[in-house]
Amino acid sequence: MTILVLQIVILCVVAVAIVLWALYFPYPSPLIRRWLPPRRRWPESQIRTWLEQGGFQRAFLRHFYSDPERIAPPGNSMLAPADGLVTSAEVHGGVRYLVIALSFWDMHVQRSPVSGRVLSVESHGDGFMDGEGREFAFLREKSCPVQKRLVIATDAGQVAVRLITSLAARRIETWVREGEQIERGQRIGRILLGSTVVLELPPAVNLLVRMGDRVWAGETAVAEGVTSP
Amino acid sequence: MNDFLWSSGHLGWGVFALAVFTGLWWLLSDLCWRLQSIPIGRLMVALITGWAIGVGLVLLGFLIGNR
Repeated sequence: MTILVLQIVILCVVAVAIVLWALYFPYPSPLIRRWLPPRRRWPESQIRTWLEQGGFQRAFLRHFYSDPERIAPPGNSMLAPADGLVTSAEVHGGVRYLVIALSFWDMHVQRSPVSGRVLSVESHGDGFMDGEGREFAFLREKSCPVQKRLVIATDAGQVAVRLITSLAARRIETWVREGEQIERGQRIGRILLGSTVVLELPPAVNLLVRMGDRVWAGETAVAEGVTSP
Repeated sequence: MNDFLWSSGHLGWGVFALAVFTGLWWLLSDLCWRLQSIPIGRLMVALITGWAIGVGLVLLGFLIGNR
């Protein structure tokens, strides 16, 4: 009798695992999520469904809001302000725009690329094509209505970090104030469900990354030649 | 063959092993599919081949155990 009970228990455990698999298919069952990398754990189609429905899985939100420590490399190179892929490094109107596109699985805390003083924290746009949105339409094909622009004065000129969020999210937190002295790699803000961070640099800087490169906020050196040694 | 399905007041070890193996193999295949980008055709071939080998081993083990 004991063996029969044990067999039934084991079969029930296997059956529950299969029912969970069927319930969550095509997305991963909760039983195997922990062994999958973030992109596989929460496929893009699942996240887009959550966006439409306005509800997210708690585990995804925990991952999304995580804020791991980063160790800035030694030297004076300029660091990536965000995690993501470099999608453009074009020069427009005497400014080099280094565009970093964040994915759903990237950490969304932004970091200062340089040490310096915050000159201004500007808010832009509440609707696409309003204000500066028109000028920066080339940065991304989709609408980017909400933007924050942080201008940082360094010993050798100014750089700016532009945080752009999506139509769905419309929320950006900035954690530094005008006049504040900030360190290289320091946390400066967070985009909630955001999409793009743009680093505005003098055109003469020596870029260390190319289109398609993966960068990590506060860790990847992206340019040289702005901060004085 | 009766021992395969039912034996001494409990499920036969043969059918029990087959059921557990099939369930676990299914879940393992799903995990492999999600971890590696392999074409669904190749995955199905691997899945069926692996399952057939597993079933063969279970049957072989049962036959040897009941000699």
